Amino acid sequence: MNESASVNTLKKPRRGFGFYARIYRKILVQDLKSKMSYRADFVISTIGMIMTNLSGFVTFLILFKNFPSINGWDYHHMLFLYGFSLIALTPVQCFFDNNWNLRFQVQSGDFIKYCFRPINVFFYFMSEVFDVKGLGQLAFGIGTLVYAWVHIGIPVTPLVMLKLVLFLLTASLFMIAIMNAAAATCFWIVGSGYVMVIMFRFKDFAKYPSNIFHGVFRILFTFVIPIAFVAYYPSLSILEADNIPVLTWCAPALGVLFFYLSYKFWMLGVRKYDFTGS
Amino acid sequence: MNLRKRLALTRAGIMESLQYRLGTAVTLFANLIYLVLVYFLWRAIYDSAGTDVVNGMTFTDTMIYLILATALFNFLEMFVVWDMSRSIQSGKIILDLLKPMKFRSYTFWSYSGSHVVLFTLTFIPTFVVVMIVTNGAIPMGINLLYFAIATVIALVVNFSMEMIVATICLYTESTWGINIVKETIVLLLSGASIPLAFFPDGFKTVVDYLPFRAVYDIPLTILLEKNGADTIEGILPMFGLQLAWALILTVAGTLFWNHAVRKITVNGG
Repeated sequence: MNESASVNTLKKPRRGFGFYARIYRKILVQDLKSKMSYRADFVISTIGMIMTNLSGFVTFLILFKNFPSINGWDYHHMLFLYGFSLIALTPVQCFFDNNWNLRFQVQSGDFIKYCFRPINVFFYFMSEVFDVKGLGQLAFGIGTLVYAWVHIGIPVTPLVMLKLVLFLLTASLFMIAIMNAAAATCFWIVGSGYVMVIMFRFKDFAKYPSNIFHGVFRILFTFVIPIAFVAYYPSLSILEADNIPVLTWCAPALGVLFFYLSYKFWMLGVRKYDFTGS
Repeated sequence: MNLRKRLALTRAGIMESLQYRLGTAVTLFANLIYLVLVYFLWRAIYDSAGTDVVNGMTFTDTMIYLILATALFNFLEMFVVWDMSRSIQSGKIILDLLKPMKFRSYTFWSYSGSHVVLFTLTFIPTFVVVMIVTNGAIPMGINLLYFAIATVIALVVNFSMEMIVATICLYTESTWGINIVKETIVLLLSGASIPLAFFPDGFKTVVDYLPFRAVYDIPLTILLEKNGADTIEGILPMFGLQLAWALILTVAGTLFWNHAVRKITVNGG
């Protein structure tokens, strides 16, 4: 495997961004075509996605009907955080959804097909599925964010917009890293789907200000399972522009680091899979 | 259709779920962490509220309610929808349909084993811990018996809802979508994510008559003796609602299934 891969790289030394972008587009079109043949499924899944977001919204409404604020965060600031988290969760939903299939493919042995292509295994595997229903979540997230933004009255300047884009990208890296690592456990543990399910449940707490956690758990959810970075720390760059905490400044670098580590972990699993061979 | 056959399925289910010990252990541990998150969230909410009692619920009441709701959820959770769609895809459903037992009761009893295991491994430990930690906040008396009865009916209602949703999936070929819609509605309207006591009045009146409440809210209300559940007069209407929905959903689900089963298209197998 490794030898043939290196031979291939020698033959075609240019494997830049353009090369992968072209391949991604081709695979994406195929995936969308096959999705279109299950139109009912597409419609119902999108409705389902919107329903989960609506239910999260209703939960907020009910909470704030009874309680005026949570740890100093009022209704609109909480909505900002919620909208921010929904947008930050879109990339993992849209581009990395195939992680959910990983354990079935590994178990059945179908995964081997990804190892026989002269392109990056991780890239090829993820490119196979583009989850369209994530776009519904994106729309809902943007709507919520804009609503909260207007009510809080944050000025719209080029600098703020730049920060927004940068920190949204940062935030999404953390969730992608969590899900990659969770999915990759299936290379070692048979039927490890529950790890993903658990992580996906923890993500529900990304929409709350993580200064509500204390002690060990604060450290756990900041540095080990970094859900505090999925919305809380990145969004502080905009909500508290005068008083940005150090961890917010560190977020972009940490995000890249977490993503890189999860990628390495995932690839380590692939290598282990190669050796067992099934 | 004697009881021994059914209990054999229960036993097989118990053995099957004990196979995945690592998974069960990790899930238990993760649930504990999840509950800690829930604790921090509601602690912060109550600290910000400035009062101790909100809508008749103290912080301790809310915590007991939510923790036991999570424990109930873990024990009642079923994957009928996923299992059915997988066995349709693989063709295995034909074998299940040919069994000398009604498909519905076969499914119910196959799941009973994992219910028994999960009840013993998740619900009882959680209950004991909550009981010790809150030191007498859960009333100990005849309400435990009523709670047990209510939980059994809740199990039947939950199973009926699962079966109806699984049957819908036969028509739509959309498993993920239908399942997520079901899960979202059940979790929100049954009180599993926010106690129903916090719902605004108008909304609550509607939710009170829906079947979802029969799964989590009624057993927990009975256990905590809230909302007049400390007298038998208060409990009877709750049991009535549960039984009515259990009956309606069972009949509706059976009719729907009998109609749908003729339509199953299995590709391969």
